[in-house]
Amino acid sequence: MKQIITLVALVAITGVYGQLDRSVRPNPAQAPTININDSEVFKTSNGITVVLSENHKLPRVSFDLVMGASPIAEGPKAGVNSIMGQLVLSGTSNRTKDVLDAEVDYMGATLNADGSSLYLSCLTKHLDKALGIMQDVVLNTTFPESEFERIKKQAESGLLSAKASPDEMAANAEKRANFAGHPYGDVMNEASLAAITREDVLENFKATFTPQGAYLVIVGDITKDQAKALAEKYFGSWKGKSLYKVDLGGGKATKGNRVIFVNKPGAVQSVISISLPVDVKSGDKNQLPLTVLSEILGGGSFGSRLMQNLREDKAYTYGCRSDLQITRDGSWMSASGSFRNEVTDSAIVQILYEFARIQEGYVTDEELSLTKASMAGGFARSLESPQTIARFALNIIRNNLAADYYKNYLKRLDAIDKETVLLMAQQYLASGYNIVVVGNESVLDKIKQFDADGVIEKMDAFGNPVVEMKTADISADQLLEKYILAVTQTTSLKAATKKMKKIKSVTKEMELTAQQIPAALKMTDVFQAPNSDASQIEMQGMVLQRQYFDGTNGGSTSMQEGKKPLSPEALAAKKKSIGLFPEMNYKTSGMTYELKGIENQNGTDFYVLFTTDGDKQQFDYFNTKTFLKAKSVIIQTQDGETSEQAISFGDYKDVNGLLFAHSMNLMMGEMGLSGKIVKLEVNGKVDPKTFVE
Amino acid sequence: MKKRLLTAFVVGSILPLTAQKKVEYVEYDLPNGMHVILHEEHATPIVAVSVMYHVGSKNENPSRTGFAHFFEHLLFEGSANIKRGEYSELVEKNGGMLNANTSQDRTYYYELLPSNQLELGLWLESERLLHAKVDQTGVETQREVVKEEKRQRVDNQPYGTFMENMFVRAYNSHPYNWVPIGSMEHLNAAQEIDYVNFYRTFYVPSNAVLSIAGDINIAETKKWIEKYFSTIPKGEAINLYRDFENLSANDFSDKYGVEKSAFSATDFLNPKDAKAKALIAKYSAMPVVVPRPKPIMEPINGVVRDTIFDNIQLPGVFIGYKFPKESDKDFAALEMLNAVVSGSTSSRMNKNIVEKKEQAVAAFSFAFNMEDPGLGIVAAIASAETKLEDLEASLDAEIKAIQNELISVEEFEKIRNQFENQIVTSNSSVAGIAENLAQNYMYFGSTALTNEQMQRYMSVTREDIQRVAKQYLTANNRIILYYLPKAN
Repeated sequence: MKQIITLVALVAITGVYGQLDRSVRPNPAQAPTININDSEVFKTSNGITVVLSENHKLPRVSFDLVMGASPIAEGPKAGVNSIMGQLVLSGTSNRTKDVLDAEVDYMGATLNADGSSLYLSCLTKHLDKALGIMQDVVLNTTFPESEFERIKKQAESGLLSAKASPDEMAANAEKRANFAGHPYGDVMNEASLAAITREDVLENFKATFTPQGAYLVIVGDITKDQAKALAEKYFGSWKGKSLYKVDLGGGKATKGNRVIFVNKPGAVQSVISISLPVDVKSGDKNQLPLTVLSEILGGGSFGSRLMQNLREDKAYTYGCRSDLQITRDGSWMSASGSFRNEVTDSAIVQILYEFARIQEGYVTDEELSLTKASMAGGFARSLESPQTIARFALNIIRNNLAADYYKNYLKRLDAIDKETVLLMAQQYLASGYNIVVVGNESVLDKIKQFDADGVIEKMDAFGNPVVEMKTADISADQLLEKYILAVTQTTSLKAATKKMKKIKSVTKEMELTAQQIPAALKMTDVFQAPNSDASQIEMQGMVLQRQYFDGTNGGSTSMQEGKKPLSPEALAAKKKSIGLFPEMNYKTSGMTYELKGIENQNGTDFYVLFTTDGDKQQFDYFNTKTFLKAKSVIIQTQDGETSEQAISFGDYKDVNGLLFAHSMNLMMGEMGLSGKIVKLEVNGKVDPKTFVE
Repeated sequence: MKKRLLTAFVVGSILPLTAQKKVEYVEYDLPNGMHVILHEEHATPIVAVSVMYHVGSKNENPSRTGFAHFFEHLLFEGSANIKRGEYSELVEKNGGMLNANTSQDRTYYYELLPSNQLELGLWLESERLLHAKVDQTGVETQREVVKEEKRQRVDNQPYGTFMENMFVRAYNSHPYNWVPIGSMEHLNAAQEIDYVNFYRTFYVPSNAVLSIAGDINIAETKKWIEKYFSTIPKGEAINLYRDFENLSANDFSDKYGVEKSAFSATDFLNPKDAKAKALIAKYSAMPVVVPRPKPIMEPINGVVRDTIFDNIQLPGVFIGYKFPKESDKDFAALEMLNAVVSGSTSSRMNKNIVEKKEQAVAAFSFAFNMEDPGLGIVAAIASAETKLEDLEASLDAEIKAIQNELISVEEFEKIRNQFENQIVTSNSSVAGIAENLAQNYMYFGSTALTNEQMQRYMSVTREDIQRVAKQYLTANNRIILYYLPKAN
C-alpha cells in the first residue's frame, strides 16, 4: 500500500515539475516587514540610565552595566585599564575569588568584566541570587594584592604570546601609528606593565566605575516592573565619583605613506594592514554612507573589491577585508589580510590601487545595490538577537540619534547614491596611509618603495620603535670598566679607585643657550664626596630652579612648583647612583643595568647601556673606540606623565687628571639647549648649605 | 566556602529543572533519497537553507588528502546556470550571507536569507547538487586560496599544527590519520578525473540532508523542494544526467549505447524514446555506493611522545586520548568530565594549575565530536619559566584525582547546572537549529535527539564520570606532544 502511494506521488511530482527550466532564477516573494520592538528607558534614583529589551523566548536574562566615562590616557602605564578589568572579579569584601567563581559557576551563569563594563547572564530562576553577586562586585570589589601579582605575571606571559601572533602585532602597530598621543594608541608592553601598581589599578577603577553616566542594559525574560525594582534594589544605592568626560580629538593623519615593518622571523605569510584615521564619530550623518563605502571596498561579502581582486582574481590570500571602526572617541579604517611572502609587494600594490580607484570614480550601480541589499539583509538578520534591540536603544541615547533612527535605517540606507559614496571616499580616504607589514625580513626590500621618504620604520610587537643593534663584543661590566679607565685616564680599576679617592669636590659652571630663551642661562653643578650633589639654574641672577641632595635627603625648589622634597623613588634612585662617576659603583649599589648592544648612529658605533630604576629609565651611549660617554637618554615617568630628555656630551678635556665633557646639548621635549663649561674646579671650596634646603 | 556552596546547593536543588525549548520540525525523504528537515518559526523574517553532505576528509583517497575541503571551495564556482563568482553575489545582493565548512565527517553549506528569498536558496543549493561546474581558472584560483587558508590558519598560527600532529600519531589505518586541510602536494597533484569521481560519488541526493529553519510556510516550502530537488535524478541516474550535460554526443553514445538526442534537456527524466526511458529506469535503480571507512577503535599502543618546534613564545603540552564516537553512550559523560576539569573559572585545571600554581596561562580539555571514534585533548600553555615536565605532571594529577575520587555532590550539581544552562540556550538561532537538526540526523540517525539533550546529559551520574575517566584517560595509552619555541 505504502509503495503505491509513493509511486503516485512520484508521478504527480514529475507531472508538475518535469519540465523545470533551471536557467530561470526564482523571484523573491513579497518582502517581509521588519519590526523593531521598542525598548523601555528609565533611570534609577542614583542616575543610571536603564535600557530594557523584553524577550520571553528563552527563560534567560542578561544585565550589562556599561560605564559612560571617556577612555583615560595611560601613557607609560599602558594596559592599566585592561589589568583592572581582569581584576574586577577577583574577590569582594564578602567573597574570596574562589567563592565568587564557585557561586557563579554553580548557577551555570556568566559574569564577565572588562575595564568599563560588567556583564551578567543567567537563567531567569537564578536572577535574584546572581544579581546579588554582581552588586557585591560593583560595591565591594577589593583587588587583592596576590591576585594583582598573579594577573600581572599572567599578562607578562600574554605579552610573550602576543609576540607569536602576527595579527596582534599588526593591530598594535596600527594603533600606535594612527593614534599617537591618544588613549587608543596606548599599547601594553613589558615596561608599561612593570610600571603598573595596585594603586594605579584602584584609581583606574574608581575613575571608571561610577553610576554617574552609567548605563544598565537589561535583555530577556523579565517584565518592566521587575526590571525597575531589581535595578533599584541592586544598583540604586551605588555611589561614585563624578563622570570623567573629555573630547578626544581622534587619530592623527600622516603626510604621505608610511611603511612600518614588524619583524616576525620565520613567518610564512606577511600580515598587511593599510590604515588611516577618519574624522567621523559615532552618530555623525556620514557614518552610514561611509560604512557603505567600506563595505564596497572590502566589507564582509565575497563580492567586495578587495576580496574579488586579491582572493578571487589573484589568489594572493584566503581573505582580504577592510574594516571601518567608528567610535565616540576616534575612528579609523583599515584594509588587511595575510599574504604569502612572495606576493607581499604585489598585495600592497593592489590594496593601494583599490583605495585610489574608489576615490577616482563612481562605484557601479551593481556594486551599490549589492552592498545596500547585503547591508539591509545583515540588518534584518541582526534582529534575531534580542541584544541587538537593546544595543540600538543604547546607541540612540549615547550617540544623540533621532528616536526613529533604526526604524528609518533601511530608508536612509536606500537613499545613499554613488555621488555620496564618491564624496565620502574623497573626503576621508585621501590622506597618507600607514602600511604595516608583519613578516619576515626577506620582504623588507620589496616594501621600501611604498614609503614616502623611502625609510621603513621598524616597530616591535607592541608598536615601539626598534633601533637596529649589533651584539656587543664585551660585557656590561667590561664596558663600565673601560669607561672608568678612560675618564680617569688610568690602566687599572685599582689605580682609578685610588685616583678618585683624592677627589673631594667638583664644581661646574655652564652657560646654556636656547633659541626660545632671550638670555643665557647659568647652570651650576656641584658634587661633594662621597655622595652629595646639587644643581641650580639662574637667568640674569634670578634662580629659576634648584635641586639638592646631601647623601640622605634632598629636594627641589622652582619658580613654577615651589618647594618639593624628593620622592621616595627619587631618593632610592639617588642612593643607587653613588659618586662622581656612578658607573664605578653600579655593581654594588643595586643598580639594574644591561648592555643592549652596539648601535650605529651617523657612522659611529656606540655601546648602549640600559639602566632602569623606579620611574626612571636611561640609555647611555658609549663610543666603542674611546669608551667615553657620548649621550644619555633619560625617560622619566611621574604622575602618569612621561618626559624624555636627551643629553649629548662632547669636547672632553683633562682637568686634574680626569676627563670632563666641556660641551653638552640638552633636548627636553621640544626645547633644545646647548651648553658650554665656563668654569670647572676640582677640590675647590664648597658651601655645605649647597646640599640642603 | 564549604557553607556557601552548601547553601547554593540547597537553593539549586529546590529549583526545578528548566525545560529545554522544544524545536518542532517535520522530516521526510524525497524519492531520490535526499532527507529533508523543516523547522518553522516566525520571530525574525529570515530563513536558514542548508545542505549537509555526508562526506569529509575521512572519505578521501590517502593520496588526495584535503580534497573534501578543496571541493567545498570549488562548489561555489557556479553551475550550468550560474556564472563564476555569481553564486555568492546572488546571495549577497539579495540580502543574504553564505558560507560552508568541512570536517572529517561531513561538508556543510548554508545560506541565511531574508525569508522571501527562500526559493532562491533552494534553487542555488539544487544547482550545486545537480550540476556544479568548475573550470580550470576556478581550480587554480581556489587551490591557491586554500593554500593561503592553510598558511593563515595552521602554519602561521601559534600551535596551529597541533591537530594534524595529534591525529597523524593517533591513527594508522583509519583515515582520521590526516586532517581536513590535508596536504598541499596532494592538491597540486589532483587531476580532472579526481574531481569528476569525487563529485559523482559523494554529491548525490542520497548522501545529503536538506535542513531549513526559520520564517517559512511548510506546505509552500515542500512544494518548492519538490520543484528543485525531486527533479534531481535518483541513484546513478544523476551521473547519467551529468554525462548527458558534459559528454559529447559520440562519447555519450559510446558509453551508454543510447544516442544523446534521445534525451531532452528540459525534461530529462521523461524522455519519449523507449531506450532512453529504459536507461533512466536502470540507472535510477542503481544506487550510488558511498564508500565509508570502518569505524574501528584503533587503540594507541603505549605512550607516544614527541616534540614539535613552532613559531611560539610560550611552550605548551598537548595530550591526546582515544575517545569514543560522538553517538556513544559514554560521550555525554566525557563531556561532563571535561567540564569538571576545564571550561569555567572554577573548574579544576583553571583553579589549580592556572591560578594556584601559576604554571599555565591557559589549561583546557575538550573532545572532538566525531562520527567514528575520535580524540580527547588535555592541554596547557605554560606560563613563562614553567617547565613542561612540571606542567604535564600537574595535568596528570588532575586526571588521577578524578579517576581516584568520585566528584563531590556540589561539584556534580554545578556541572549539571552548567549543562542545563547550555542546553536551554542552545537552538536560539535559526542557523544553529538547521545545523543541529541535520547533524543529529546524520551522525546519530535521530533528528529527535535535538530535543533530548537535557535527558541525555541529566542521566549521567557521578559514577559514570569516574568510570569514563578511568576507561578513556589511560596513562599508558596516549600521545604527548611538547610544543617548544623554534630557534630563529
